[in-house]
Amino acid sequence: MRTNAIQAPMHGPVTHDVVHRPGRGRGNLPCWLAMPRERDSAAEPLVAVHGILRRADDQATLLGERAAASGRVVVAPLFDERRWPRYQQVVRGKRADLALLALMADLRLAGTVATRRFELVGYSGGAQFAHRFAMLYPHLVSRLTVVSAGWYTFPDAAPFPYGLAPRPGRTGDWGPQLAAGLEQFLRIPITVCVGAEDTERDDNLRGGDAIEAQQGGNRVTRATRWVAALEAAARAHGISPSIELVALPDCGHDFRQCVRRGGLDRIALGEHRAG
Amino acid sequence: MSINTPITAAVLARAKWAFSTRRVPHERACLLDGRLSNAVSGDLVLGRIQSLGSHKRIQLAQGRVSELYLDDLVVLGCGDRYASDQFEGIAEIDPRGADMLAGGGVIGRMRERNARMSAPTRITPLGLLCDADGAVINVADHALAPAPRPDGMTVVGVVGAAMNSGKTTAAAAFAHGLTRAGHEVAALKATGTGAFGDFNAYLDAGVRHVADFTDVGMIATYRQPLARIESGLDTLLADAAARGAEIAVVELADGVFQKETAALLRNLDVRSAFTGFVFAAPDALAAAGGCAALRGMGIEPAILTGMLSRSPLGVREAEEATGVRVITREALCDPAQANALMARMVAAARRPFAAVGGIGLAA
Repeated sequence: MRTNAIQAPMHGPVTHDVVHRPGRGRGNLPCWLAMPRERDSAAEPLVAVHGILRRADDQATLLGERAAASGRVVVAPLFDERRWPRYQQVVRGKRADLALLALMADLRLAGTVATRRFELVGYSGGAQFAHRFAMLYPHLVSRLTVVSAGWYTFPDAAPFPYGLAPRPGRTGDWGPQLAAGLEQFLRIPITVCVGAEDTERDDNLRGGDAIEAQQGGNRVTRATRWVAALEAAARAHGISPSIELVALPDCGHDFRQCVRRGGLDRIALGEHRAG
Repeated sequence: MSINTPITAAVLARAKWAFSTRRVPHERACLLDGRLSNAVSGDLVLGRIQSLGSHKRIQLAQGRVSELYLDDLVVLGCGDRYASDQFEGIAEIDPRGADMLAGGGVIGRMRERNARMSAPTRITPLGLLCDADGAVINVADHALAPAPRPDGMTVVGVVGAAMNSGKTTAAAAFAHGLTRAGHEVAALKATGTGAFGDFNAYLDAGVRHVADFTDVGMIATYRQPLARIESGLDTLLADAAARGAEIAVVELADGVFQKETAALLRNLDVRSAFTGFVFAAPDALAAAGGCAALRGMGIEPAILTGMLSRSPLGVREAEEATGVRVITREALCDPAQANALMARMVAAARRPFAAVGGIGLAA
């Protein structure tokens, strides 16, 4: 574990350290950790997954200070571009889900985290990862925050990865595997955030007739439709949904903005729900 | 007049104590009762190897195998044996010589054997081990205390067409996949003959807890009363839950036609313990027959697996014949796929007689 950490933005006494943990062995994920100086060992960690710019250090730094106030560890895994070009889709290409499971098992073994369950937040590409991971392993995720995803896996009959049906000609595709855990997934408290001004169609936003018909033309519309789809699916399963959509004021597609202007750190830690 | 003769700790320390006796503290044994014909299932027998036959090694309580030599002293449990590939035998001790019915430590009288098997290893029984009060030591004396079935536990049954159809591989793989997915899993064997092969396979899977019917006082479950086996299952589940397991993967030995396994599966109270069943088969025909047998009992298997799953042609035949998906060991080991299968089994359990369906290998 590297201790010459980047400096967290400090507004008072030092409450935590942001440190880099190298990957251990082949395929093992490195991560950035925000370690509170006074840890609450019973508190679940917050796992924060970066977007395609891969700024895992930003995740740890910008979420770490508020997490430290409640004694919670922030784990920000790094899916580097060379080895994990499609980590957002979790199960396509190399299995990003297995890498995160292995990292969390290692961190438990090392005593860095104490619980099997964790809260999960993902930004942009990380938000894609986060919601698909939570669909596969809903028993591990106690709260989910999905921020500014470019597109989503909907709880509908579209072929995976747009929906939960198998792709044509594929026996035993991943869609039905995600569908199996849907009911438990819908019981997770979910917050979907998007910058109120994140309505531009940039190069990283997946386009095409099919996706735009299903999800809409920009991140705000897609977030809105996904939340509506989840709420409808929850009700269809007889579940009272605990799903909310939060528009982050004065924010575009920028993680730092979402934290500093939009209060994403409070939201990711569930503090906004407590009032 | 005492019918017991003292036996020294030094003699007992030289003896090879079989896996089936592992819960018994050695220091409890200090006398030998020569009334061998009184032996019942579970009694500990001290014997000497008279001739080496089919079993040339013994599975020790320490979890390793030991070569057997003529005149070796061994401690085994008197018991029955049901093994279609090996011996059928009963819990009787002939003072002139008894049969080693299982390498895990079962001594009794062989009644029948598979044509491929040579004669059993013969053992000269020296007596029944007793404690200082002269009471014959039985493995049941050191069993887990009976406990009621726990509420809310997810329990997967693994049954098969016969011995060597892939049940243990499937149980260990599924337990491993669920463990990797972050569940606390127990791997249990509810019926069979005391032996450490399956026990060790479960341990290797990295699960939270492993136990079998020997932990609830049975050397073997063949010819045991159904109520005792059911009570043993409940106790194993309760113990697993007390040790933190949320899910239990429970293997039932032999095939679904085996007497005790069939009785358990037909029993609605026993069945109510299970969330769902996995069926392991060596080939498509066995899969079709097994599915028909299970459906005749009102059980819809969630998936097929076992040796069958290694043959793409066999998989196709079995799926066409049964309408049930075939899943490989590798898929069961995969945390995402194991978790999805578990979720489907839980959902299907809420809809009686509904097929699980729709489960396959992910691309």
